Amino acid sequence: MDVSPNITELERKIAEVRILQRVSADINSTLDLDEICDIALRTMDELFAFHHANILILEPDNTTLRVIASRGYENQAVGGRVAVGTGVIGVVAQKRRMMHVSNLGQQRAYAAAQRREMEKSGRQAQLGDTIPVPGLPNAESQIAIPLIIRDDLIGVFSIESPVPRSFGDHDRDLVTIVANQIASAIHNARLYEERRVAAAALQEANASLEARVAERTAALERELRVAQALLKEARSRVEGPLLGDSAVASGLRETVARQARAVAPLLLTGPAGSGKEAVARAVHDASGRSGAFIFVSCAELNTHESLFANRFELASGGTVFLDGVHDLPPEVQRVLHVTLEEGQRRFLRGESSVPDVRVLASTTHDLREPPPGGFLPLFQLLAANRVMVAPLIDRREDIPALVDHFVRQHARRLGKVIDRVSPDSMRRLEAYTWPGNIRELKTVLERAVLVCKSTVLEVEGEQLNEALAVGSYRLVSPLGSGGMGEIWLATHRFLVRPAAVKLIRHDVAPGAAREQLVRRFEREAHVTAGLRSPHTVQLYDFGVNDTGSFYYVMEYLDGLDLHRLVTRFGPQAAERVITLMRQACRSLAEAHERGLVHRDIKPANLFVTRLGTEFDYLKVLDFGVVKEQQSSQDATMLSNQGMVQGTPAFMPPEIVMGEARIDGRADLYSLACAAYWALTAHTIFDATTPAQMLLQHVQARPIPPSKRSELSIPRQLETILMTCLEKDPANRPASALQLDQQLAQVRCEAAWTNERAREWWETHAPELLAGSS
Amino acid sequence: MVTCSADGKPNTTVISQVYYVDETHVALSFQFFSKTIRNVRENPRAFVCVFDIAGQAHWALQLQFERSETTGPVFDAMDMQIEAIASMTGMSGIFKLRAADIYRVLSVERVQHPPWT
Repeated sequence: MDVSPNITELERKIAEVRILQRVSADINSTLDLDEICDIALRTMDELFAFHHANILILEPDNTTLRVIASRGYENQAVGGRVAVGTGVIGVVAQKRRMMHVSNLGQQRAYAAAQRREMEKSGRQAQLGDTIPVPGLPNAESQIAIPLIIRDDLIGVFSIESPVPRSFGDHDRDLVTIVANQIASAIHNARLYEERRVAAAALQEANASLEARVAERTAALERELRVAQALLKEARSRVEGPLLGDSAVASGLRETVARQARAVAPLLLTGPAGSGKEAVARAVHDASGRSGAFIFVSCAELNTHESLFANRFELASGGTVFLDGVHDLPPEVQRVLHVTLEEGQRRFLRGESSVPDVRVLASTTHDLREPPPGGFLPLFQLLAANRVMVAPLIDRREDIPALVDHFVRQHARRLGKVIDRVSPDSMRRLEAYTWPGNIRELKTVLERAVLVCKSTVLEVEGEQLNEALAVGSYRLVSPLGSGGMGEIWLATHRFLVRPAAVKLIRHDVAPGAAREQLVRRFEREAHVTAGLRSPHTVQLYDFGVNDTGSFYYVMEYLDGLDLHRLVTRFGPQAAERVITLMRQACRSLAEAHERGLVHRDIKPANLFVTRLGTEFDYLKVLDFGVVKEQQSSQDATMLSNQGMVQGTPAFMPPEIVMGEARIDGRADLYSLACAAYWALTAHTIFDATTPAQMLLQHVQARPIPPSKRSELSIPRQLETILMTCLEKDPANRPASALQLDQQLAQVRCEAAWTNERAREWWETHAPELLAGSS
Repeated sequence: MVTCSADGKPNTTVISQVYYVDETHVALSFQFFSKTIRNVRENPRAFVCVFDIAGQAHWALQLQFERSETTGPVFDAMDMQIEAIASMTGMSGIFKLRAADIYRVLSVERVQHPPWT
């Protein structure tokens, strides 16, 4: 018996099994799609010693298959496509069944013959286009197997041969085994890729979320600090006016206790400054209402009816206080009247337990006599429950208690120790008529405490009323104070326009030194008054008042300085900072041309305001005046006067080193420090003492601002700032104009337009816009 | 493929495929040969000459029509192949398998040349 054919057959089968075992191991050892395809195609070579195979993947649209790997074609078939339902591969994908064809060429020829017959007999219209498919154009034998995982088609594996009947049933079984391996491996590779992508996305999302949480936390902390400050300030306003033993004061306290639990609107009448707001706050505090006390200045609401509604929403569960309710536009009065009336009716019908917002209002109008034509309905309704807050003159016996309270308050705030008020001063305070009532008393005492140099407070006669004047200006209320002096809101005696008056204290006794100082002050004021840039604060007047203080009168600006802007609202967008810096550059350029160096550019001296229809209009403050005097002070003086509390952070190295020749480039360094602050809410160096800070200006290189801010800072801007922060002035931009031009070139993600600025102000600080124009 | 009507008129046509079903049966595709089909329904005997290009041989088969299938594995396999070819050649809708006609093979004879050459 001849057994050799059987032995050969056996050897072939053993070889096949080994190949299949290996392909199984290899294909499952990788998750790389290219490698999987390579193994599959190599296996076909080994099993059949031929070179025509394709692996196709179903595209996400489920209507097309794309060749992802091929072997044995003259033109690389990878990337070729075939529609599901077209050709052998397309039909296999459509039917999801294996196809084994042995005479493809013959069948094609037959179809072509039929086609010709139809064309001859004029039936072309029924024919479609012939469609090329990936693979051998002269293929005769083909096995195509759908790649299916859990009933989902993922692709097709196809082998071809130009010879008819190349593959038998055994070959078909072998190809099926390999195809199943391919399907499984591709599926695994895809799952792995999907998970990898998902994990990466998750990680990215986590990081983004963490950043957002941190940003939000920082924003909330800032808001909390602002809210705490506002609350503290509001509380201090409550306490004072209710103090005292007079019948008026006792009556007010009783009123507060009585009105606290009531629900009807309450109208407080009385002259300006008599303490109506304090009474309203006391009523709210004693009411036990959980909501907020919302202060609405009716005079500022003329064009903001919607804002009015918003304030009511904010007061939900609390109290809304309409200060100066007589100033409400008639239309708003009508709406408010209807709302209040409806609320009262529903309350009386028992439809709601308590009106959600308690309405308190104040007016300086005298309601004892109705105006011609009678009261408007809103006033009739409000006047039903009204309380008169008497002028200070009617409760003169309360003055000592009030003085004691305000002196303590101001001394605590200003860090001074004041034991008592001198008897003469107290007599003057009690005798004075107080036309501005408690507000005026508070203001006078604040100023007295500020200038007080001993533990006994003196209030001179000229500090009362008439004395509160410099030149042609009458001081109205303090706006702020610093190491060198204080700033007051003032009005011109004859013109109505408001102004800001800066009073500068000095400790130089009368004599030659003082004369010299006055002359220098006057010289610098002349130079400053000559500055015409619209971005330089305008100087109206200057001089020396009766008490010997220097003063100068500037235009009054609504808004806030860059220091407060960043403290309250955090780091600012690069495009906004550029807009502000460029305006400062224009102011500085003019001053530098006239040989005047500011020397104290810092965020507190860059004031952001609204000028007519222009928002984010920047004005450089504190120009030149008495600057030489300041810079000639010794370090102790700087420390004593509190200069080091802010300025060292913005001081250029040449000023730190006491260089004799200082030019405009010193201001550019400081301006860059201010911009750095605006972009990051950090000073350029961290230091615990002024000396450390000054040393770093001379020696250390600042960390680039982009490393200290979560906001995006254009690289171009950072480069410009870092150049301005060079230690050697020669390496900085040569002039403010040059810096302005460089800043104009910086490309930002979005432009800072007047419209954006307007939106910002309306959203963040509408109260600062109302009175400005 | 040669068929004959009940009244004795023969008809010859060219067909593309003779599918192997089992040792005693083949299947022919019923697509659009109306005269052939009519003849076979009247007279179940048919003669088919097959060219085997690979084997360079020709075979003469005497067949007896048994049944017409419109489902099942033989129909599906034939249908898929016809659809694959039709879709590539712009013949979709024209090349459509209506039925797989199953014939019993009465005799097979190898011939040197087809009878008409």
